Amino acid sequence: MTNSPPSLPSGYQDFLNELTGFALAAEETLTKIEQDMEKNKNLFSFFSTKMLTIRGTALQLGLSHVAHIAGLSEEIAVKGSSAQTRPQIRKCIGSLWDAMTTIKHLIINHDQETVEEQQILINRLDATLKAFGGPRETASAADIEALLKARG
Amino acid sequence: MLPGDLNVLVIDDVQSLRVQLREMIKALGIKKVTVAANGEEAKQAIELEKYHLIVADWCMAPTDGMEFLKYIREHHEMAGVPFIMLTGENTKERVFKAISEGVDGYLMKPVTPAQLQKTIYDLLLKKGVLG
Repeated sequence: MTNSPPSLPSGYQDFLNELTGFALAAEETLTKIEQDMEKNKNLFSFFSTKMLTIRGTALQLGLSHVAHIAGLSEEIAVKGSSAQTRPQIRKCIGSLWDAMTTIKHLIINHDQETVEEQQILINRLDATLKAFGGPRETASAADIEALLKARG
Repeated sequence: MLPGDLNVLVIDDVQSLRVQLREMIKALGIKKVTVAANGEEAKQAIELEKYHLIVADWCMAPTDGMEFLKYIREHHEMAGVPFIMLTGENTKERVFKAISEGVDGYLMKPVTPAQLQKTIYDLLLKKGVLG
């Protein structure tokens, strides 16, 4: 008997490798923001775009926990880009580091169940986001269908 | 035209998703599916061949899905090509923008083969590409 991980469906490992690459790029961005919070605040928008990519890829892959945390991080990064004070920016950065650590862990251990610590992190990210005014309004599939129909 | 005669262009910056989408579309009986990693690669692709449908992600660089849509609609002989945005972008503001700027279909990730099939066939029948 070996300790090798369970075999993955064809192409699945490629997805995971790409997701890991996006997470590392996001971490580099966060490091740059941290180095000069006010000057590099604009990099939050690049970070949120990376989170959008991670969310979309994770959703397509069925990694709902990764997608959920990436979605919350995307919204916190949007708030970070318009934060007015250093404590606000620092709060965003702190939350995003926690999120990145968990996202990387979940990508590597994609076959494990969500544990209590991850739920605590999700609750914390939710609370941070609420403190900054909550997430942006989203469109449902029904909204989209109605809009396309109305346009003709 | 029959599905087997269609030529489809798929644009996404995530390589694994490009491969997955190409296979999903081929499974619909569409034999020719070309992939591009961003809007710039897609601009080159449309100079070489005519496409009957474009399925594009939004967030890519250089040239994202919306910029590529505008480029086609404003400057290219393929201005009327059916265009489906397939993206994780779900904020109302951005969805409204995409629809007002001329996407013909809007699918949010994750997309299933059945959703993709319905959206593609409904759109191509409506546009008179498939008959």
